[in-house]
Amino acid sequence: MPDGCNFSGVYLKQRENYSHINRTDNHGFKKVLLRHETILLFVLAAEWIFFDVIGHNFGTYDNSCDILRHSCEIGLLALAMTPIILTGGIDLSVASLLGLCAILFGKFWRDAGMPIPLAAACTIGVGALAGGLNATLIAWLRLPPLIVTLGTYSLFRGLAEAITHGVDTFTNFPASFLFLGQERWLGVPAQALVFIAAVIFFWLLVHRTTFGRSFRAIGFSPEGAHYAGIPVGRRVAMVYVLAGIISAIAAIIYTARLGQAKADAGTGYELFAITAVVLGGTSIFGGVGSIHGTLLGVAAIAVLHSGIAHALLPGEMAGMLTGVLLILALAGSILPKTISDLRARKAAFNIPKQTA
Amino acid sequence: MNFTIQKLSAFLLIASLAVLAGCNKPAEPPSASGGNSPGGGKQLTIAFLPKSKGNAYFVSCAKGAQKAADELGVKLIFDGPTDPDPARQNEIVENWITLGVDAIAAACENKEGISTALRKAQAKGIKVITYDADALPDARSFFVDQATPQGIGYALMDEAAQLCQSNGEFAVITGSLTAENQTEWRKYVEERRAAAYPNMKSDAVEACDDLKDKAQSETTALLSTYPNLKLILSTTSLGVPGAAEAIKQAGKTGVVKNIGLGLPNENKRYVHDGVTQGVILWKTEDLGYLTVYAADALAKGALKPGDKTFKAGSLGTFDIQGDNIMLGKPFTFNKDNIDQFDF
Repeated sequence: MPDGCNFSGVYLKQRENYSHINRTDNHGFKKVLLRHETILLFVLAAEWIFFDVIGHNFGTYDNSCDILRHSCEIGLLALAMTPIILTGGIDLSVASLLGLCAILFGKFWRDAGMPIPLAAACTIGVGALAGGLNATLIAWLRLPPLIVTLGTYSLFRGLAEAITHGVDTFTNFPASFLFLGQERWLGVPAQALVFIAAVIFFWLLVHRTTFGRSFRAIGFSPEGAHYAGIPVGRRVAMVYVLAGIISAIAAIIYTARLGQAKADAGTGYELFAITAVVLGGTSIFGGVGSIHGTLLGVAAIAVLHSGIAHALLPGEMAGMLTGVLLILALAGSILPKTISDLRARKAAFNIPKQTA
Repeated sequence: MNFTIQKLSAFLLIASLAVLAGCNKPAEPPSASGGNSPGGGKQLTIAFLPKSKGNAYFVSCAKGAQKAADELGVKLIFDGPTDPDPARQNEIVENWITLGVDAIAAACENKEGISTALRKAQAKGIKVITYDADALPDARSFFVDQATPQGIGYALMDEAAQLCQSNGEFAVITGSLTAENQTEWRKYVEERRAAAYPNMKSDAVEACDDLKDKAQSETTALLSTYPNLKLILSTTSLGVPGAAEAIKQAGKTGVVKNIGLGLPNENKRYVHDGVTQGVILWKTEDLGYLTVYAADALAKGALKPGDKTFKAGSLGTFDIQGDNIMLGKPFTFNKDNIDQFDF
C-alpha cells in the first residue's frame, strides 16, 4: 500500500484499536448492547416485526424459506468478501465471475456432454483459476485490488457475453439438478444447506484459526504483518482464490434456482455483497469485522427486499431503504463512540483547568 | 471479557435464528383458492408482471389492466424488474406466491426461467395467465395472444393495398432475412398479396439488421433502383422511421407511401408530416384490459380450459384458439388516432 494516501484509514484503524482496549475496562453488558452486531440485530428484529405487521403473509415459514432461498447467492458472495475486506482488499469481480461460471457450467453440461457433478466440479475449478488470476495480480504483482478486480469485473462478464454472443441461454436442466435450487430438503431450501456449510467454514476460518487472525493483521498493516512473520502474499492470495471458488458455487446454485444460465447472471450482486459486509460492521479499511456481522447484514437486506414486496410497496424503495439502513446502522454504531470520545476530550480539557 | 462478549453475541445470533425458524405461523389461505367464492365475498387480488416496469409499452398495458381492475372491483398489483431481468421476475413471482394473490398475469422475459416459479404458483392454487410473451404451456392456463403472425402479415398487406388502391409496386424492409418471426410475417404478407391483390408486385426484400440507419440507406437505394415504387413496407419497428427519413430526404413525401410495424411514439412526427401513412401494432391498453378480465374470470372459475369464446367487459367477445385468447386483428395507428397513444 502506498504511503501517505491512507491517513484517514490509518487513523480510523488506530481509533478502533484503542477503543478495543478501552472496551475491556468498561462494563461488559453495556458494551455488548452498543456493539455494531447487536444494534444490527435489533434493526433486523424491528424490520421483521414492522413488515410482519404491515405486510401480508410475511412472517410465515414459507416466506422465511423464500427469503433464505433468494439470499443464498448474495450471502455466499458476502461470506467470501468478508475475509477479503478484512485484509484491506476488495473484490468487484465476484458477480461477473458468477455469470461466467454459470454459462461455463451450462457449456460443460450441454455442449461437452458432461454429467452434472463433473460439470459442477469443472466449474468450481474454473472459479478457482479465475480467483487465482486475481490473486496473482494482487498478491504477487502487488497491484491495487480495486483496479485489478475492476479489470476482471469487465473481463469475466465480457468473456461470458463473448462465449454466448449475449444471446445463448442454457436451459432444460434435469429435475435432479433443479432440486438444489427449487426444492426443500429437511424442511429448508436445499441450497440453504450449502450456504450453512459455507457459513460454518468461513466462521471457523475467520474466528477460530490463525488464518483469520492473520487476515486482520494484514488489514491493519501489511508491513507489520510481514515483519510479524505472516506470509502476507500467500494469505492474500488465499482469500481471492476462495472468493473464486465460492463465486462458482454461487453460480451453480443460481443456475439451479432459475433453471437457466445466461451471461447476465448475477449482474450487480457484487455491490449487494459489499453492502452486506459493510452493513455487518466490517471496516472497509480492513482489520475489523466478523462473519456473523456479515450474516446479519445479508439478512437485513434480504428481509427488507421481501418485506417491501409483501407490504405491496413499490420495489424501487428497496434500493433507497438499503441505503438508509446502511447509513443508519453505521451511524448508530459510531455515534455512542463519538459521544464518549467527545466526553473524554471534554473531561481531559477540564482537568488542567481545575488544576490551574 | 472479550470472550464473554463473543459468547453473548453468538447466543443472540442463535436466538434470533431460532426465532426466525420458530415463526412457523400458518399462512393465511389465499383469499379465493380455485374459485370457491365466485363473484362476491373477498376482494380478489391480481398480480400483473411486465417484462420491465419502465418500458412505455408495458406502462400502457398496465393502464388498460388498471381500468379492467377498477371495473371488476379487484385489487391490481403492478410490479416488475426495472430492467428486463429473469431472476428478478422469478423473485417477484415467488413473493406473490407467499403473499397469497389469487391470480398472476405474466409477460415472460425467459420461458424456462420463469416457468418453474409459475408452476409453483399453480401448485399453490394460484391461477396463472400469460400475455405478450408466453411461458411453457404447462406453467399457465391461458396465453393472451396479442397477434398471430398471420394477423400481422395480413394486416400489413391489407393496409398497403388500401394505400395503393390494390395496384402497383412495393418493396419490403425486414429486420433480418433469417429471424424466425420476420420470416413468418413476410410469408403471410406474400400469401395475402397472392390471394387478394394480384395486381400488386413486390420488387425487393432488403434487410436492415434492425438498424434505423441501415433501413434509411437501403430505402434510398430502393428508391433510385425502382422509380415506380409506390410503397415501402417494413416488418420491423426500426424500419419505419428509417424508411421515412429516406423518403423525406428524397423529396418523395406522399408520393412513396410508408407503413410497417411500429410503436406510435417513434413515428408520430413522420405520421403528422405525411411521410408515414400508418404504423401497425395492437392496442396495448386492450391487451392489459383483456388479460386482467381473463385472469379474474379464471380465478372465479368462469373461464375454463376448453372454452371457445370469452367476453371481456366493454371490449366484447374474444375468440379462444386452444389455450390462446386472441386479442384479434392488429390496430392501425394513423394521422387521426396516433396522438391518443403514448408508448
